Amino acid sequence: MPSGARTQYSPPWGNASIIGVAGSSGSGKTSLALAIVASLNLPWVVILSMDSFYKPLTPEQSQAAFRNEFDFDAPDAIDFDVLVERLQAIKQGKVAEIPVYSFAKHARLEQTTTIYSPHVVILEGIFALHDQRVLDMLDLRIFADADGDLCLSRRLVRDVKERGRDIEGCIKQWFGFVKPNFYRFVSPQREIADVIIPRGIENKVAISMVSDQIRRTLASKSAQHQLELQRLGQIAEESPLSPNAIVLEQRHQLQAIHTLLLDPATSKEDYIFYFDRLVTMLISKAIDFLPFEPEQVITPQNRMYMGLKGSADMSAVVILRGGSVFETGLRRTIPDCRTGRILIQTNPKTGEPELHYRALPPKLKTDGLVMLLDPQMSTGGAALMAVRVLVDHGVPEDRIVFVTYMAGRVGVNRVLSVFPEVRVVMARMGEDMEERWVETRYLGC
Amino acid sequence: MSSENSSQPPTEHVGPDYRPAMQKPTATVSTSLSHSNVTILPSTPQLLSLLTMIRDKNTGRADFIFYSNRIIRLLVEEGLNHLPVVKHEVTTPVGRVYSGVKFEGKICGVSIMRAGESMEQGLRECCRSVRIGKILIQRDEETAKPKLYYDKLPEDIADRWVLLLDPMLATGGSALMAVDVLISRGVPEDRILFLNLIASPEGAANFAERFPKVRVVTAFVDQGLDEKNYIVPGLGDFGDRFYTM
Repeated sequence: MPSGARTQYSPPWGNASIIGVAGSSGSGKTSLALAIVASLNLPWVVILSMDSFYKPLTPEQSQAAFRNEFDFDAPDAIDFDVLVERLQAIKQGKVAEIPVYSFAKHARLEQTTTIYSPHVVILEGIFALHDQRVLDMLDLRIFADADGDLCLSRRLVRDVKERGRDIEGCIKQWFGFVKPNFYRFVSPQREIADVIIPRGIENKVAISMVSDQIRRTLASKSAQHQLELQRLGQIAEESPLSPNAIVLEQRHQLQAIHTLLLDPATSKEDYIFYFDRLVTMLISKAIDFLPFEPEQVITPQNRMYMGLKGSADMSAVVILRGGSVFETGLRRTIPDCRTGRILIQTNPKTGEPELHYRALPPKLKTDGLVMLLDPQMSTGGAALMAVRVLVDHGVPEDRIVFVTYMAGRVGVNRVLSVFPEVRVVMARMGEDMEERWVETRYLGC
Repeated sequence: MSSENSSQPPTEHVGPDYRPAMQKPTATVSTSLSHSNVTILPSTPQLLSLLTMIRDKNTGRADFIFYSNRIIRLLVEEGLNHLPVVKHEVTTPVGRVYSGVKFEGKICGVSIMRAGESMEQGLRECCRSVRIGKILIQRDEETAKPKLYYDKLPEDIADRWVLLLDPMLATGGSALMAVDVLISRGVPEDRILFLNLIASPEGAANFAERFPKVRVVTAFVDQGLDEKNYIVPGLGDFGDRFYTM
């Protein structure tokens, strides 16, 4: 398929909804955000605190900060440029590295926190509704309102207990910076908020209103994603099988192995034995797509041999749980293959694939070949999502080989119409939309 | 019978079809043979890289064993494809009828000691409970000809397909004698498959002509033999590298 024929696919985390929660220091923004997340009880909602985006301080500023003479409560203390950049990445469904700020050291730490694939992000901070570029990305603007005395007492408790400050310093900061800044910068945000929530987490009505709103947004995203998959299905049905779908040559041994695997009367022991044997054939086929380079060696006869060697490492990513049935065969061929894992589950109610978990090898993007392992591809929805995860983590499309026991034409085309440079290696073509049974048979449950 | 200087080893750009010639690295590929009963594994970049590993004199024993075993499995898979199957229909777990095939006939392995025994693991990884016979052939120091010292073969070997195992085929003396032993036990010539990693062109041609009905499956036909009848460029003494070095 020429690259001009590429179709678009937007995963359910593309165009994430961002909700801003602003309010005075100590107004209970964090507790409010936590209460909203708790009431939703869904894995795809994350809280992003603007505290992560404090600018690193110069040595002079840092000394001032330790004397409690640095103004952390003015918009200037926040690195809005980095915040905007990361929010854009999240909005586009990309991987976003969030800085970690240490209040004890007044500096950004080396490590970062990775945010990937949230459907909803709650951005909380005193200036969440301050910068126009941020405002443009927000789907809902919330202002948390609280009594000033309450704010001061909460802040004192938090700074002394959690941030290792002393009471005198905190009071100095409150009257020197926090209070004047509140009137100057924080309070005006009230004017542009969609919702003003008084009394923080005690306000159960407001929390349930907000979480209902988020639930509606999530439902419409899920419906959109399913429509998207249907649309791709139509494109897939209308096109012939892509040349990047590679089916193993159906020779006698392979046909006999298929027959054994497909026969429900085959014992579990035999099933596992022949499946493992088949996997070594599939992995071996996939390895042909690794780039190789010339390698000259001297044999024990002291003769030169002009051979080859792989020019980069190979790795594999198992799509759980089905993909785990490939691991025995994989390790027979590449014993030390670095292996990542992602858990994609199909929602039984909607039939929509959902990404629950991922743990990927850090060097993935420099590998010469990344094999995605899943024994069965039917609608291609989960496969599409898995490829998208790899691409978002910087793996070039043409280094991805999807290895499967069997796949249907529509599923394969659905994946390859979006990612035309990916290759699919399979042991045989199956029917479209075949139910999953391969891993159930292998794992025995 | 030194032949190494008779011609340059063949080199080719190797790689999958979709890759332009510019992006295919150049490597020495197998010498081709015209005998129809010799099957040489396709020179894929992967196979050549495995051969490169085991040919390198700096490759340690653990890697030598692992990578030669990977090639041996490819040989066994190819060899097994030459065995007959019969039609067999099954109903699949999703209720469809699949017209498949099943293995037909009994098989056994016979390894030519000691290097041939290194191929038994690869055979067992494809055929779990296969019977394996052994033949010991050594060079007689007086006559410089191969001599049969020992054999232990399944009683019913005449009713089985035989996969004869020996990784190196230099002059072919031992392999020819082993086939003679099998035939003397009643195994029809056309039921013998000879699995081999590296052959010399003269050894392979000689063998294929002597037993035109025996199927030879080899991973690579090398450039030739040196004055001591070692395959060159070769990989040294397979048995030593696998078992004792």
